[in-house]
Amino acid sequence: MQAGADSVAAQAAEWIVRLSADDAGEQAELAQHFAAWRAADPRHEAAAGRMEAMLGELQAVRRSGAARPAGRALRAALGGKGRSGARRGVALALLLAGLSFLPAWFGLAGQEPGYWLTDLRSAAGEWSTTRLADGSTIALAGLSAVNLAFDGKTRRVELVQGEILVDVAHDATRPFIVATEHGSVRALGTRFTVRREAGATVVTMLASRVEVRPAEAAAGSAGALVVQAGESVRFNADRLLPPESVDPPSVDRAWAQRQFVAQEMPLPDVLDELDRQRPGRIVFDRAALAGLKVTAVLPLTDTDRALQLLVNNFPELSIRSYSPYLVTVDMAKSPKTTGR
Amino acid sequence: MNIAANPTDAIAQLYASHHAWLHAWLRRKLGCSHGAADLAQDVFVRILASRDALCGMREPRAYLTTTAQRLMVDRIRREVIERTYLAELAIVMENAPTHPSPEQILLTLEALGQIADLLAGVSAKAREAFLLHYLEERSHAEIAAQLQVSTRMVHKYLVQCLVQCAAARPD
Repeated sequence: MQAGADSVAAQAAEWIVRLSADDAGEQAELAQHFAAWRAADPRHEAAAGRMEAMLGELQAVRRSGAARPAGRALRAALGGKGRSGARRGVALALLLAGLSFLPAWFGLAGQEPGYWLTDLRSAAGEWSTTRLADGSTIALAGLSAVNLAFDGKTRRVELVQGEILVDVAHDATRPFIVATEHGSVRALGTRFTVRREAGATVVTMLASRVEVRPAEAAAGSAGALVVQAGESVRFNADRLLPPESVDPPSVDRAWAQRQFVAQEMPLPDVLDELDRQRPGRIVFDRAALAGLKVTAVLPLTDTDRALQLLVNNFPELSIRSYSPYLVTVDMAKSPKTTGR
Repeated sequence: MNIAANPTDAIAQLYASHHAWLHAWLRRKLGCSHGAADLAQDVFVRILASRDALCGMREPRAYLTTTAQRLMVDRIRREVIERTYLAELAIVMENAPTHPSPEQILLTLEALGQIADLLAGVSAKAREAFLLHYLEERSHAEIAAQLQVSTRMVHKYLVQCLVQCAAARPD
């Protein structure tokens, strides 16, 4: 009986795989035979139906555009491309260590080497520095991603998300360009950070200078702005805000120590940053918290402590943690918010 | 152990004589009383769900600890799936026009958990072939090249994974 069920499953699987094989020549005929096989016995139909239901779920994931997250999640959970022996080693270590150690090994879940060839990217809470072919270096803050396009004329980095610190090797013939949807930052040889936020891009100059051009600015020098060392500029596609001054050594230090420096920054922006560095989510009402301005140096490698520091500074905040993956931040119930 | 005529009585008996001990054992393993209570409960729920297992139970302690360990592995796996999926989804959806609803995300996580359970039963290469084909829509030939095996082997891998599906849900 059990053996019979096994062979029914094997036959159903055989049919389904054959139907998705590369040589599509006899597909129509195969499909007919498959239909006949299914109709021949309700157990055949049940086995094939079960497999198709599972594949249907995967198809739904694919159609929703989440194939990549799903693939990474499954590979992370099952040990990626590693030998299953290695996976068992990890599982055993986890059992011995207890569930509380999960966050520590999560960061080790593998990245595919091929991915790094086209797309530099870092996971939440993970910093990485890469030396590029031209001798420039690019450091990615946690959960940041860039695409690289270097050719004979330009060195172009597309900042897809997050924040980078670039140390540009001098090359007078090939400008180094960092682009976002909000515009581009053009340099010859210098050191600066570019950070992509939801509605704007922020450039902070640590040495020398760059030219910043919003995406929809007029051609020529009128639409662009030269940003000098010690200045930080925020821009979106059609507008540049006036430069603010920053202290380059402290920005450098913050990068080295993986800290986040907020100067009179709206609380929602600070929470966005912490949110990016956590595997779970921080949920908050942007409008309700927009009035709070934060000046602080926060540790990005320990976002729980960073949140605690925020509460210490703003007793009117209430932070609740539902699981390591879901934290809510809102105003405490007392409506004593006068003067804001 | 004397097997009672009624499986529910057998469960009650098993629960009465082993629950306190299992809870203590899990608490030592997990270092967390809440988690241990929760998991101990799940162990009995799982046994209740597979009644025939109860009849042949010679060594209740060994059976209970094995079941509990399996559940722990399942939970770790689901937790890793949840964390990775949410973190990766946040990246993909950053610039996407529409976002999946919380219900959709839960359904997907549930489906991924079940798929992970069945893929856990096959070799790493078979698993990779399955993900490449059904999630990333690679052809058999492409997968063969990537995994450095023949297309016949790819075919075999995919069949293995699908067969797991029947084994995993024998309802």
